[in-house]
Amino acid sequence: MVVQPMNSARHFIRLLALLSIAVAAFVKARSMVVPADFGKLGHFRASAITDAAAREPRHLGSAACAECHSDITGPWAAGKHHIPQCENCHGPGMLHVKVVSEDSVDKYPDPIKKYKNALRPTTGIQECKWCHLKTFERPAVLKFITSVSGHITAKGGTFTPKSKCTDCHNPHTTLVK
Amino acid sequence: MTMLWDKPEISRREFFEKCAEAGAKSFIFGGLVVTTANLLLAQDTQDTRARAEEAPVKGTKGPIYGFVVDTTKCIGCGSCVRACRDENNVPDGYNRTWVEQYTFFPNGEVIVNSPNGGADGFGEDLPNRNVPEEIGQLPVRGFFVPKLCNHCINTPCIQVCPVGASYVTKEGVVLVDQERCIGCGYCVQACPFGSRYINPETNTADKCTWCYHRITKGMLPACVQACPAKARIFGNVSDPNSEISQILANNRVQVLKSYLGTNPRTRYIGLDSEVI
Repeated sequence: MVVQPMNSARHFIRLLALLSIAVAAFVKARSMVVPADFGKLGHFRASAITDAAAREPRHLGSAACAECHSDITGPWAAGKHHIPQCENCHGPGMLHVKVVSEDSVDKYPDPIKKYKNALRPTTGIQECKWCHLKTFERPAVLKFITSVSGHITAKGGTFTPKSKCTDCHNPHTTLVK
Repeated sequence: MTMLWDKPEISRREFFEKCAEAGAKSFIFGGLVVTTANLLLAQDTQDTRARAEEAPVKGTKGPIYGFVVDTTKCIGCGSCVRACRDENNVPDGYNRTWVEQYTFFPNGEVIVNSPNGGADGFGEDLPNRNVPEEIGQLPVRGFFVPKLCNHCINTPCIQVCPVGASYVTKEGVVLVDQERCIGCGYCVQACPFGSRYINPETNTADKCTWCYHRITKGMLPACVQACPAKARIFGNVSDPNSEISQILANNRVQVLKSYLGTNPRTRYIGLDSEVI
């Protein structure tokens, strides 16, 4: 079989046709894969910023708690224990507000909602130890105890494994009951 | 004058050979041009970095956020870690922020401890704590260091992202686009501070956002709001009257791993040389 040499222009036309199809396919595929606002503000999806900002805050702050629980937040704010916020011990309040206002919590996948009132249950001793147990590295800016049993014995009480700080102290004001 | 179509006919084989030759030539030439251009522009890049502190994000007039951690005030209660976990639904075993406990012994040994990121507190005091027997001495000093994403100006993590899922906002906050992230974990390895992790629930990279959903609504990040010792200060560094600007103006601050040149926006007061 004799190979017929082609006219060189026909080589180009064929290649150009193939190339233009490939380019068109690439442009189409890219427009389907890359989001429309990608690259508007930089090498990322511009609407990702609004997505990130849209999430609902869960910690509402103690001022939000005071709207309903002023009987507790009043003495708390006036007392010595006003520095730690309500949500430090009780957990974030967003779901709690939704539960008591009878909004459906089913749409909020969250481990906290399994608790009563959608607040973290307090133990009355662990929350205190987070700050008030003496450790060597802790700067001495607050009142420490070296051990719960030692503290109770020194104050003339009887320590049992079920003893809690809240047996004697009001956690909101730190005052002895 | 001979036009393209007047040239003598060539075989298909000859045509492809010439194409390959021309391609190779332009590849080498193009490479030379790009390399030369990069070398010429390198000086400009250096200048831009030097100016990064004053105008971290180009063309912005809004707030530029900063974070100060005062290690001299931290009492190691772990409130920030718990607040962060609750606020951001961080899975167990992962941390966006954590607290490290440094204990120094007379023989030069340093023990760094962070049980569960500090979320359960640092309960046991010495000597009940499990100190290795070979040390056998009481420590001479110690302190707590809270850690979080440094929100660097020269971010290694954004540079390596292959799909443009990691980005910095105009306020200087480094974020991850959960929809675009393919979970390759490259950024997790690129971060020299260990601030990123792959979320096992979404299989995408996750990190501290400085609570971007809160700060854009005028609230403080959850960890800052929870801190009872005022060891965490967050605010607008472009406003000279803000609390954080005053603190930055009146304190000697340091950043973590400054030798890496990532230029973090998270600064530390009272950072010890042993802290890594």
